[in-house]
Amino acid sequence: MKMYTATISASALKVRSRESYYARQKRLFFLVIILVPIIPLLFISWTASRFYQQSWMDKTTVELTSLANSRREIIDLFLDNQKNTLAGYAELYDFAWLNTPGNLEKLFKAMNHQGVIVDLGLITQDGSHRSYTGPFADNLKDKNYAKTRWFAEVMQSGSYISDVFTGYRGVPHIIVAVTDPSRSWVLRATINSELFNSLLAGTEVGPGGDAFILNQQGELQTPSRLGLTALPLGEEGLLATDGSLTIHHSQDALYASTGMKNNTWTLVLKTDIATSLADFYRARHRDRLIIAGAALLILTVSNFLVRSMMNKIEGADQQRMQLYDRIRNSEKMALVGRMAANVAHEINNPLQIIGDQAGWVDELLDDEDPAQLKNSEEYRTAFAKIRTQVKRASTITHRLLGFSRSTDGLKTKININTLVEETVSFLEKEATNHRIAIRRNLDPDLPEIVTDSTQLQQVFLNILNNAIDAIGNDGAVTISSSLNEGQLAVEFADSGPGLSEEALKKVFDPFFTTKKAGSGTGIGLSISYSIVERLGGGIEVRNGKQGGCIFRVTLPMAA
Amino acid sequence: MNELPILIVDDEEEFVSTLVQRLRKRGWSSEGVLTGGAAIAKAVDCDFGVVLLDMRLPDMDGGQVLQEIKKIRPDSRVVILTGHASASEGEEGIRNGALDYLIKPVEFETLLEKLRIAGNHTP
Repeated sequence: MKMYTATISASALKVRSRESYYARQKRLFFLVIILVPIIPLLFISWTASRFYQQSWMDKTTVELTSLANSRREIIDLFLDNQKNTLAGYAELYDFAWLNTPGNLEKLFKAMNHQGVIVDLGLITQDGSHRSYTGPFADNLKDKNYAKTRWFAEVMQSGSYISDVFTGYRGVPHIIVAVTDPSRSWVLRATINSELFNSLLAGTEVGPGGDAFILNQQGELQTPSRLGLTALPLGEEGLLATDGSLTIHHSQDALYASTGMKNNTWTLVLKTDIATSLADFYRARHRDRLIIAGAALLILTVSNFLVRSMMNKIEGADQQRMQLYDRIRNSEKMALVGRMAANVAHEINNPLQIIGDQAGWVDELLDDEDPAQLKNSEEYRTAFAKIRTQVKRASTITHRLLGFSRSTDGLKTKININTLVEETVSFLEKEATNHRIAIRRNLDPDLPEIVTDSTQLQQVFLNILNNAIDAIGNDGAVTISSSLNEGQLAVEFADSGPGLSEEALKKVFDPFFTTKKAGSGTGIGLSISYSIVERLGGGIEVRNGKQGGCIFRVTLPMAA
Repeated sequence: MNELPILIVDDEEEFVSTLVQRLRKRGWSSEGVLTGGAAIAKAVDCDFGVVLLDMRLPDMDGGQVLQEIKKIRPDSRVVILTGHASASEGEEGIRNGALDYLIKPVEFETLLEKLRIAGNHTP
């Protein structure tokens, strides 16, 4: 069951709609306070990350490009060098000299003081291996090369550098072969694979990077650092088509590929983005942790700030609303007071005249001859009745005083329970007539308070009267008194039908009444309200859980 | 009993005329006027035993009339009669030199008693 207090009922509705207003404001403030520092923070972090990644990419591209170019040049130069050296000797010596036992060995030694080649062979026009110096003499001594591809190539173009192939010796190798100017014989050398591979081995492509050479079929010509045995599937694009340097960018790697050895080979350099950017990723992770920490701090602080700020605002607003309500009520009461005084004045004058006229005629009757006055007694009774009714009417007009009367100097020390009993005694007869029981639930240990008992009694009378009217016939009114938190409280709970929400809000408004037209003025509770307020207390109304309504009058202990 | 007449100042003609008649029936002489101006004029003309003064008059405020009468005849005995349902007007009158006040509607006997007391009162 909701509690309504008439004093703040008007603002209670506002307060409820304001609750969502404050909640909205709270969320809004919270959002602004959080977003204002966090958005730039995230933006800076994001742009810094983007910028770093992009600049790393640019730098690496440039580095990889120059690395690929320089390696290509070195390797091309090395191979050309071997070919040219061999061609030089082929021009210098004739077949007879080279075929003389011991001479090829001499030449091999002269050529190979750096260990660049591992063997040297002399082959005739028909492909037969005439002379050989090197470690594979047993395998190769009587072999015929007429049907091998390289021999056909060298006989056709005068010089040839092979891809890696296994050949008769059963070991992968690269050979350089040249013919004499008349193309009647061939001088062939095998490149030292270790030395050749070392040309790429030192390439700085970073952790997770790779450097290797592919032939046109995509077969590896140098070992892959990552242990690849063939071109990874789907990366055929790495094979140089026109020999120019190309940069490929996959999800996690950056490739530079360039054609070499007259475009028959492709040099591939690979840099792994993830491992190369590992430091950056670590830094970024740390930054994100810091941002998350800062966000958490901002969240906590702003939550605290917004809460305390909004609580203050809400408190101030509530105080203002209460003040506004009080002012509004006071103004209303002042207006009612002025109006009541005017109404009383306007009615008191005719009442005076009615009473006077009746009295005057009554007096004049004395002059008449009683024998001629048949209804003398009737007249007297009628005049007495007029006087009584004038008195009754004047009681009402004087009651209107309640609005404007001050309470100065009328306060006495009283026991609230005694006052309740006194009030009940006035109405007990009427209650009994309507079969309404008046029950007391009074705290016997209540302290005495200093207050205006006459006016307070009027308040109790009003409430009790209303309770009896609300019940009609058959029911009960329970009056309880108690002391809590320094305030005396007297509650009047009736077994009537209770009040509608609308009525609960307006019950203390002047001239508001739920009674039938003509049977209630609608000022009783209004006067009661202003009286209790002047006495420093409060009066509230709510519907009881078991029906009926409950009026609660609270009074301060120290008046 | 003072032989001087009673002056009744009230804008309610019915009230004034009936009161004059009822007082006359008891052997009291009285005169009634309906405005503050007339009351002051009467006070200039002659002395009255008691002045019964309404606080709301059509031409001027009862308090002003009281002050004027007190100026003309400082020993005037004035009883305030107010229809205003508030004692404050009467109390203010007493501060301004009135002897007593009555709130309408007032019983004739009560009024007579007040007038009697006022008439015997010697300032």
